[in-house]
Amino acid sequence: MAAPVSTVGKPSAERLPLNTTSFQKKTRTKLISIPGTRPSVQNGQLLVSTGVTSLDYLLGGGLAVGTVLLVEEDRYDSYSRMILKYFLAEGVVCRHELFVASAQDNPDDILQELPAPILDDVAIHKPVEQPRLSCEPQDSLDAMKIAWRYQNLPKVQSALASSSRFGHYYDVSKTMEPEIRQAAKCHRFYLTEHPTQSPPTHSTMLESYSALLKSLQEVINSEGFDVAAPMSKSRNILRIGLPSLGSALWGDDLSCHDNPRNGHALATFFYGLRAMLRSSLAVAVVTVPSHLIQDRALMGNITRLCDNAIALESFKGSERETNPLYKDYHGLLHVRQVPHLNCLASKLPDHKDLAFKLKRKQFTIEGRSGRSTCCRRSSERGSGGRWASRWADV
Amino acid sequence: MLTELLQGSDAGGFIIIRDSASCSGRHLLKSFINAALNREEDVHVLGFEVSEEELKGSPVQRLHFHNAYSDPLGWTDKPTFTVHQFCMEELARLLKQTSHPKPATLVIDSLSWILRHVSPPAVCATLHQLRKGGAVRAIVALLHGDMHQRGTVGSVCHLASSVITVAPGMKGGDAVAKITKRSKSGKVVQDEDIFTINNDLTVVIQSKHSQVGHKQADPEEQEMDPTAHLTFNLRLSNKEREAKEKLALPFVFSKEKKTALLHSSPGSGRILYEPDANDDYDQEDPDDDLDV
Repeated sequence: MAAPVSTVGKPSAERLPLNTTSFQKKTRTKLISIPGTRPSVQNGQLLVSTGVTSLDYLLGGGLAVGTVLLVEEDRYDSYSRMILKYFLAEGVVCRHELFVASAQDNPDDILQELPAPILDDVAIHKPVEQPRLSCEPQDSLDAMKIAWRYQNLPKVQSALASSSRFGHYYDVSKTMEPEIRQAAKCHRFYLTEHPTQSPPTHSTMLESYSALLKSLQEVINSEGFDVAAPMSKSRNILRIGLPSLGSALWGDDLSCHDNPRNGHALATFFYGLRAMLRSSLAVAVVTVPSHLIQDRALMGNITRLCDNAIALESFKGSERETNPLYKDYHGLLHVRQVPHLNCLASKLPDHKDLAFKLKRKQFTIEGRSGRSTCCRRSSERGSGGRWASRWADV
Repeated sequence: MLTELLQGSDAGGFIIIRDSASCSGRHLLKSFINAALNREEDVHVLGFEVSEEELKGSPVQRLHFHNAYSDPLGWTDKPTFTVHQFCMEELARLLKQTSHPKPATLVIDSLSWILRHVSPPAVCATLHQLRKGGAVRAIVALLHGDMHQRGTVGSVCHLASSVITVAPGMKGGDAVAKITKRSKSGKVVQDEDIFTINNDLTVVIQSKHSQVGHKQADPEEQEMDPTAHLTFNLRLSNKEREAKEKLALPFVFSKEKKTALLHSSPGSGRILYEPDANDDYDQEDPDDDLDV
């Protein structure tokens, strides 16, 4: 079971002070109330947001706690890295803890490039703004021309104690401010700083992967993310980001050779990772350079071992870049695997052809709806198949 | 973009020249060496495939050629440079031998030779350490794309900041270079140039590839201006715009009235409402006797 909800303690009342209303829903069930999570409407699993609201919708509301999301990278690793950054930024905003492990870039560099959240309802450590008094000078009336009756009402309270909204929006052109980022606790694993021991001959896993799993296990046990840990302190979620796992810098020749010598090392790693996550309050997003892996059977193995799997295919450099059908989009998104947690059948997404577009303030994923006849201008241009209106700004 | 790469403006770059059997990239490699020497930089060349005389006719002072051509696998007793010496410690020692204050440029001819004898993950690790360590300013390597499996070529090119793929051009002396450059921010730029190399190893860029011209023509055709052929006027002249802005809208009050309404006097009426049981009228259950 991904997150056994019955064993964890009562909702912590001390989290609620600065709500705008005093209404508290009376709940009989003992759900874990961790900031930034919500129970799924389909099966009651505890969900966290991936940072991209369209992707949350695609995965059935969010990423279930205790599962792994596999992102197959696009050719130049630009959009998959962006999804990882959204995931980590969402963790910072929701006050979750982060764990970043990388072989190529320093984890500190990855953390410095997180996108800035769009700040309307994100809590930062600023004091509550006083509502504006009515004895303000006259020139403030010119601020609003049409809605001037709302001039003197206080602004929407931005200082919630914990951000109660699920899923935030980020501005890609700005990086997150250091004060916000340093408020979140982050654990790092940089492969070049770990000395390589002699490889054990009988193990199916590489020592780089073993070292990573050991480090993860230590963090989970010491920081209390294990579900079986005692209830002494309040619970939090650990967000694990693993960029470019399986690349040659991890010592794995899966992406180099057609017949890799230790082809099952990565699959064994995923098996161990999933087993560890099932018994802890953690979520993992892993990106794998699948365009370099030639053995499709092994890639299929790895996909089956992860709960959620999507693949990104960017149009950059391919002949599809000039196709007029795709001119509004940056690439295609394929859903390889949907999770079936504690159930027999899973909910498949409605649209099979999905395309994504990275805008400055949003990463949108849209599905294709077929030819539309409503707009005459589009049929004049002769483009076949309008892409549907967007989902999931909801 | 080829000229910018030749000028070597950004430090810490890793350029791979990817060639094939139909078109050799060694001339372009020699142009890169030449450009680096003209910039007064130290150049270290690991030569596996061609000898020193063939690569650079007369010895130049700042060019340090490490002869891996005569005995690359160490079969004799005293090899100068073997392929197994391609690891971080040996290379760092090699690069420290010169006393030049600026970090040098490392040229590898060719990476394919090393990949045949050392495992690709080890080669990738060494290249990664070279870039991060700061021992070299830039690395330029030649890679024969058709000698390796796709995954190997892809993995090595994934580490590079720029990949130049050379292919034979239309005319005899021309070659086409397809360049993919990845900046640190993750942005990817692609370009295509037709170039020739003169005898003194300078690169001359011909006009851009003809396909780029086709791409530019098509978008212009498709954009029709919908306001072009209308029978009514959609634009405003200046006088009309001024008149429009002067018009007083019905519910826009003057400033005095606005302030009067905003600061309501204390004696105005207030509505006090206490919810009554009779007000709780449920449309679907008027008699209030359903047990739901």
